[in-house]
Amino acid sequence: MTPKMLLLPILLPAVLAAVLLVLPRTLRLLRDVLAVAGAAVLVYYGFVFFAAKDLRFAVPWLGMGIDFDLRLYHFSSFILLALAGFLLLIALYATVKMKDAPRSREFMAYVFLTAAFANGAVLANNLVPLVFFWEGLLVTLYGLITIGGRPASGRTAVKALLISGFCDFCLILGIGLLWTIAGTATMSEISVAPTGPAAAAFVLMMIGAAGKAGAMPFHTWIPDAAVDAPVTFMAFLPAAFEKLLGIYLLARVALDFFTIAPGGAMSILLMIVGAVTIVLAVLMALVQKDLKRLLSYHAVSQVGYMVLGIGTAVPFGIAGGIFHMINHAMYKSGLFLSAGSVEHRAGTTELKKLGGLRREMPLTALGFTVCALAISGVWPLNGFVSKEMVFHGALETGYTVFAVAAWIGAIFTFASFLKAGHSVFFGERTREVPALRESPAAITLPILVLAGLCVLFGVYNKLPLTLFIQPILGGHVEAGAHLDFTSHALDLFNPVALISIACLVAAFLIHRHGFLKGGRRAHLASEPIHNLPGVRRLYDLAERRVFDPYEQGVKVLQGLSVVLFKAVDRPIDLVYEKIVTVTGAKLTGILKKAHNGHYANYLAWCLAGLIIIAGVVSLLAK
Amino acid sequence: MIVQTALLIGLVLFSVLALLVKDLLRSAISLAAASLLLGIVFFRMGAPYAAVFEISVVAGLITVLFVLTIALTKAGDEVRESRIANVVFPLVFVAFVVIDALVMKSLLGKVPALAAGAETGSFGEVLWRGRTFDLVGQIAVILAGVFAVLALFRKRDKHD
Amino acid sequence: MIILFVALPLVVAAVLPLVGRLSRRVLPDLLANATLLFLLVYAAVAGRALIAGGPVLQHVAWLGEAVNIRMSLDGFSLFMLLSVSLVGLAASLFAIDYMERYGDKATYHALYLIMIAGMNGLVLATDLFSVYLFLEVAAVASYALVAYGLGHDELEAAFKYLMLSVAASAAVLSAVAVIFGLTGSLDFAAVAAALGGLDAGPAVAIASALFLMGFGLKAALIPFHAWLPDAHPSAPAPISAVLSGLLIKVSGVYALTRIFLNVFGLTPALSAVLMVLGTVSLVVAAFLALGQKDMKRMLAYSSISQVGYIVLGIGLGTPLGIAGGLFHLFNHALAKGLLFLTSGSVQHATGTRDLDEMGGLAKRMPVTSAANLIGALSIAGVPPLNGFWSKLIIIIALVQAGEPAFAVIAVLASVLTLWYYLLMQRKAFFGRLDPKWAAVREAPFWMTAATVLLALLCVGIGILFASTVSTWIQPAADVLADGVRAAAGSWGF
Repeated sequence: MTPKMLLLPILLPAVLAAVLLVLPRTLRLLRDVLAVAGAAVLVYYGFVFFAAKDLRFAVPWLGMGIDFDLRLYHFSSFILLALAGFLLLIALYATVKMKDAPRSREFMAYVFLTAAFANGAVLANNLVPLVFFWEGLLVTLYGLITIGGRPASGRTAVKALLISGFCDFCLILGIGLLWTIAGTATMSEISVAPTGPAAAAFVLMMIGAAGKAGAMPFHTWIPDAAVDAPVTFMAFLPAAFEKLLGIYLLARVALDFFTIAPGGAMSILLMIVGAVTIVLAVLMALVQKDLKRLLSYHAVSQVGYMVLGIGTAVPFGIAGGIFHMINHAMYKSGLFLSAGSVEHRAGTTELKKLGGLRREMPLTALGFTVCALAISGVWPLNGFVSKEMVFHGALETGYTVFAVAAWIGAIFTFASFLKAGHSVFFGERTREVPALRESPAAITLPILVLAGLCVLFGVYNKLPLTLFIQPILGGHVEAGAHLDFTSHALDLFNPVALISIACLVAAFLIHRHGFLKGGRRAHLASEPIHNLPGVRRLYDLAERRVFDPYEQGVKVLQGLSVVLFKAVDRPIDLVYEKIVTVTGAKLTGILKKAHNGHYANYLAWCLAGLIIIAGVVSLLAK
Repeated sequence: MIVQTALLIGLVLFSVLALLVKDLLRSAISLAAASLLLGIVFFRMGAPYAAVFEISVVAGLITVLFVLTIALTKAGDEVRESRIANVVFPLVFVAFVVIDALVMKSLLGKVPALAAGAETGSFGEVLWRGRTFDLVGQIAVILAGVFAVLALFRKRDKHD
Repeated sequence: MIILFVALPLVVAAVLPLVGRLSRRVLPDLLANATLLFLLVYAAVAGRALIAGGPVLQHVAWLGEAVNIRMSLDGFSLFMLLSVSLVGLAASLFAIDYMERYGDKATYHALYLIMIAGMNGLVLATDLFSVYLFLEVAAVASYALVAYGLGHDELEAAFKYLMLSVAASAAVLSAVAVIFGLTGSLDFAAVAAALGGLDAGPAVAIASALFLMGFGLKAALIPFHAWLPDAHPSAPAPISAVLSGLLIKVSGVYALTRIFLNVFGLTPALSAVLMVLGTVSLVVAAFLALGQKDMKRMLAYSSISQVGYIVLGIGLGTPLGIAGGLFHLFNHALAKGLLFLTSGSVQHATGTRDLDEMGGLAKRMPVTSAANLIGALSIAGVPPLNGFWSKLIIIIALVQAGEPAFAVIAVLASVLTLWYYLLMQRKAFFGRLDPKWAAVREAPFWMTAATVLLALLCVGIGILFASTVSTWIQPAADVLADGVRAAAGSWGF
């Protein structure tokens, strides 16, 4: 085990990506084997690295403290292992699901390139290589979305690129600021208190990290991508990789680079972002009519729990946030993959058209159900454990309001998954979809593996908590403050858990009420909430954007004064899609008019420029 | 002195004319005239070689070249200047001349005398003896001019 | 033998018409490309050994008698010579197939070599008047090359180019005259020394302004840029590539840098003016590029914008800023050369430069489209391509020097750059293939080879950028940074 081995998780997928890209279509079998085998090798080394724990590989690079510095320690080795695991499952899944897609070759190559960049970003121990790998992810993100091949894919890809680009831009600014303040670019040596300019650096880096994870208000591309990009991509990036990376960086930012104190301004800021994300996104998720879109809004909502957990700055909450990250990656991947499985056979993911698939697709239904219960926080699955930890952490800070927001999120999460599961797999069989069979093993296997992990991490939660999570916190908690998971009694009988269970019951009642009121049609179960006075309008505004963002944009602009506080989605989207574009076009128009091809005109500019420069130089000289 | 002033005024007039006339051909001829006048000014100020280069290179070669290229273009293709450009340019030009005059007036007093002794001999001697490298450049300019004429007068057999 | 860089292309150019009598195509192609290849190899292999002991000042002897030809080669000029030979060779290779339909290749190659000789001469010159003279050599050759197509647009663009260039030459010449009047000398070192002991701030300020206008016109900095968007698109593609990739940099940026950093010394005032000029060009031209429908016009505006980056970095005057600016100069020469060449391939294949008429060409011209994509991403600053590193260095330098506002503008402008290049990609190469391009085929061998060569360089330098910087850029930046230090605070500023 030499330090040079650390290059392997970066170089191997990069080389594989190049090979996969050039392999001709006729050698598809070889391509699939290579992809799966490559991912398996990475998983193996993930374990090796996890066992090795401490490694450091540094070579001088650009001078001025910018070294190519890779560091493996318990946190990065844990993320590395998780990334490799998801890569393997996605590669396996894609061999079937992306088989007939027009650009499947590129898809695989992009996936592995993403893995290379992600591994690099996780291992980087210097801010500059971190930025390098982080930006590389932007390119593959763009490429992967365009593969969707829908008419709007290109536009969605640009939207994702611009939004992520903005977040990355904030990250770079924050890193620059941090670098100046800390005086070093070596990440393991940085630790500053978030006050004064460092607070600005913290907020900027937080935007970068939380934006990558998809927290509000940087989420708007995810629901669009759910429709326009391949579903495998959704399970791969927004569900798994971006959460792991974003939360990893957020944890590093909040715990290593800056030391945020419980109850401090930065901690409260993070908790607010988390709580707002949880509630707003889950409300959007509740009324979705398409399974993939519903899942994508949950992918946003769940980030809120992680941000909230880390934001508590209480050891227990932080542990909960990080644990939630890994749990979420498992069940959300599983859910997206199940949605993909349904799409693979039924050809649609619209809730209205589906129903009663559990008999024909029992394995998918089983996987989906387990993952859905896990995300809803049903005992004894993993989601229950990590959510409880976040609740405890939030309560411990003394700001009960955040715990309440998290509970509200829990109610609607369960309600929306009752609706989704009920519509797709239970209830009556619809006629829109012809008879179908279970998906092949390469599709169901990853789903079942993920579902199994959800159960494992839930029932034996001490295992991941002590093996993975506790070592991470080891360096972050003050000396002596031993983290004791047993003291919080993560079982059914304590006041917090009882409230959580009450939330689940409430969700069930809401669903039942809607189901009965909607004429026993499950996909209408959310309609009573959807139709509440006032709420309806809010939803409509949010939804209309979804159907036709560009044309509706103008209308929303006019009604902006009325609905500003209601439609949180819209104004943010407006900034990305309208204001920047229109200002650019206007400015360009004016400048183009000035270039009318008249020679005298141009010469006049030159002379004017000469006069101004001469004036300025003479003035400054004095 | 009067001749000198007249020559300088003529130089400025032709230069402005070269910019303002709509017909490219007349514009090029005005430029040639301006260069010619500049050459005469050089001569009168005791810089014969500068005058020769000015007249030979600028007035001669480039102008001939471009009179000919313009002759190659179709008739009636002249560039149309807008009214605004015709107004704006003189204004800026006048402003430029005024500012230039003011600056130069204050400047002329401050410029120290030429450091004597560094480069002795007549101007011509300096040019030939001390500046041989420039000859390479002159040769290159003339070569470029010759090839430019060759290029612009070649038969347009394949490309239109 | 430094003089080879000037003399060899001139001699070859002089014999090319005779050779052209013997063989209309093969020999002129071979001779011109062999000359450029020789210069490239000479610069790359022998150059570093030549300057190992510091700058070389060469006096040429003719038949045993010393004639007064003086040239100097230091890290900066060697770096420029290398760039000129490299991009010059690529464009010349491209011309083998591309210029086929224009006819009379011997004359084309001769003019081309004279332009190269002019640029090399400028780079090696040691006094102000030689700078002016070689500026003219390159310019005269380039007028004729812009008009080489002989169409109406070409002639009009060449005329406009000539007219504004004359204004530039006039400004440079008057500045030279002012300096000569002040110091009684034209030699760089002598002028620098004389200015150091002189208290004539205003006069030098006027001369600086005149130089700024003259070289600014050549470099197409805003507001001196208006000729470029006409001239560069109208020229044949290899000429566009050399004009945008090299000429504006050698006759604009190089001359500006050499005179301001090594002769005048970069004072805070000049530094501020240069940075503002650079930033204005950077932003305004990026917006202008966004509104173009003509592929080559878009590239031309992009050149103005990227020159803004270079001037911003060099104008900053810190060692890192200068290194970043020079590295960007090199990268932009490669990438913009590449982009103009691919646009030539597209025009060759489809006969149009209008982006709205294209679409889906990636399916028909995969190599060209991939090369274009690499060039576009490189200029837009996407890692790991070379353009990313140079922009990163410039931005880091700006932040380090305490100019965060400029850094922010530079970053935002690079987002704009990415925007219009993605626009170009989408309109030209991606999307649905228009049925009328169904018969379009990939460009001929030499055209493709030239673009592939440049694309590989873009990728390779991006990956090996550390060694490129230390081998070629750093010596050049050191020369300039030394100049800044030596001249700082001189001439009464």
